Amino acid sequence: MSTNTKMKMIDRNSFQVNLRRFPIYLFLILLTLMCIVPLWLLLVNATRSTPEIQSGISLIPSTNLLANFKTLSGRNFSLPRGFANSSFLSISVTVLSVYFSILTAYAIEVYDFALKDILQRFIYVLVLIPQQVSIIGFYQYMASLHLTNSYIPLILPAIAAPASVFFAKQYLETCVVRDLIYAGRIDGCGEFGIFHKIMMPMAAPGIFTMAIFAFVASWNNFLTPFIMLNKVELYTLPMLVQLLRGDTYRTEYGAIYFGMLVSILPVIVVYSFLANKIVGGLALGAVKE
Amino acid sequence: MQTNNMTQGNGAAAKAAPKYHKMGNLTKNYMGYVMVAPFIIAFLVFGLYPIANTIWLSFTNTTLMKQSGEFIGLKNFQSLFNDKFFYMALGNTWKIWLTNFIPQMAIALMLSAWFTSSHLKLKGVGFFRTIFFLPNLLLPATVAVLYFSLFNFYGPANQFLVRTGIFSEAFQFFRNTTFTQSLVAFIQTWMWFGNTLIILIAGMTSISTALYESAMIDGAGGWKMFTNITLPSLRPVLIYTLVTSLVGGLQMFDIPYMLTDGKGSPNNSILTLNVLMYSRFSSSKGHIGLAAAVGMCILIMTTVCSIFIFYVLRDKDAAKEKREHKKMKKEQMKYRKAVSQ
Repeated sequence: MSTNTKMKMIDRNSFQVNLRRFPIYLFLILLTLMCIVPLWLLLVNATRSTPEIQSGISLIPSTNLLANFKTLSGRNFSLPRGFANSSFLSISVTVLSVYFSILTAYAIEVYDFALKDILQRFIYVLVLIPQQVSIIGFYQYMASLHLTNSYIPLILPAIAAPASVFFAKQYLETCVVRDLIYAGRIDGCGEFGIFHKIMMPMAAPGIFTMAIFAFVASWNNFLTPFIMLNKVELYTLPMLVQLLRGDTYRTEYGAIYFGMLVSILPVIVVYSFLANKIVGGLALGAVKE
Repeated sequence: MQTNNMTQGNGAAAKAAPKYHKMGNLTKNYMGYVMVAPFIIAFLVFGLYPIANTIWLSFTNTTLMKQSGEFIGLKNFQSLFNDKFFYMALGNTWKIWLTNFIPQMAIALMLSAWFTSSHLKLKGVGFFRTIFFLPNLLLPATVAVLYFSLFNFYGPANQFLVRTGIFSEAFQFFRNTTFTQSLVAFIQTWMWFGNTLIILIAGMTSISTALYESAMIDGAGGWKMFTNITLPSLRPVLIYTLVTSLVGGLQMFDIPYMLTDGKGSPNNSILTLNVLMYSRFSSSKGHIGLAAAVGMCILIMTTVCSIFIFYVLRDKDAAKEKREHKKMKKEQMKYRKAVSQ
């Protein structure tokens, strides 16, 4: 980094810098608390019984975690099923959107075909068009095909994910090595073979980042499944969590917090292991537009 | 900018490619069609048709009960423009978006300037960045129910305020329109400032340090460098953030829908356009046509605003340069063709 030269110039008045740093750290700690405290309260309250929660705030976990789980299951609130539904949907969506996005981006990057530039620009525009505005037309169309209460309308659209293609294109620009493609052809590899055996492994870090964001987006998605599904057996986690606000659970505070905890735990666990990759991936996609 | 150099470098590689194609692989280009076909088919079926269908539905009186409606022209839009709830939703959506976006941007700009500053050399930047981004990954449904529980009449917020003596008795937070509206804006900021921060940091680290060094030799202070170097260099990143935030903000649904009763209570203070759309859709009559019209209004508004932002904030000098660059390239191509013939 060439910032070193600057640092030397500044070091002289380091006392002043220290003085300036102090309020900044204070502010940062304040923001950290703002991010953490609500989640900590959620975690702690998920382990406390309802009377304990009503008696006041505590920052120390209690021992009622299992009891809360039982209360929740006793009320016909099937967290495991919601969990399985959400996992199935999110994994399917992730696989489809990542594979077809990288395939589309690869085609645009490597081959010369008519309308390729128009297609690329078109996809860039699509990124900015919000999908929820057409949800009514989507619902009516799927209802006419008798596909409500089915996962098909929630999974198949993932094949066309413009934002994902956009990211994949940016990423492939930096990692497609044409000589390898020609070498593959000479060795008698088919075009799909080159894509699967040479390009996909090379683009693995980018694919990984795309997969995480696709998974989280699908895991958190509420409106589309909420409109398309009305059988409780098919409910996803966000739809179940939303029920916690209703009358059935009004006084079971411990159980409510427990339900919330289960819904966010997988994301937090994954994030605690892969935070740097996730944060780095976000930065990668954003700046090179 | 570093990134620019990189893309230019790749451009050069792409230009080199046709040479190989001429060596006998030209026919392989049809594979491009094969590989983009799934995307295009899925887009036509699941992307374009629903939009077209929504446009069509917004001109009909379709309801949930009878699937086929008749064409009624602009009547849905007329009734929408005569509906006070529509104006409320429109006002709320903009108000909540602005009161979320302005502090979010201010905090993110300030933090990213600190984090990338070589004066300050802050410690634990990675840690703070990681923590600040966390709320962005959580289920909006859970976040809404969590804040609902925290500010509930019997919730921790009231417990804290009463115990410490700040309030003499528990406060009905969700009966206060100003509070509820501000809380939605706060939650949006809480969830998104880390995301904006990371994008801005990435933008700032790609600004050449030589610019700052020469400014420092000229005796420019921190603030002057920020306004004269950082902000102008960040322009594309700022536009990107602004547009994506606006597109997302105008569609705000999850938090306002799940924080209270799903109808924008108290007193319609958090009734946003998408909540209105859903309530028309899910009403006992199931006015699909009317709901589609709301969707169309959001789409038109989003498009107009995005184009307006791109137009107003575009870098006029850079655009000119680009055009000239393109012209030059075209002439070069012509020249090359002429020579090769």
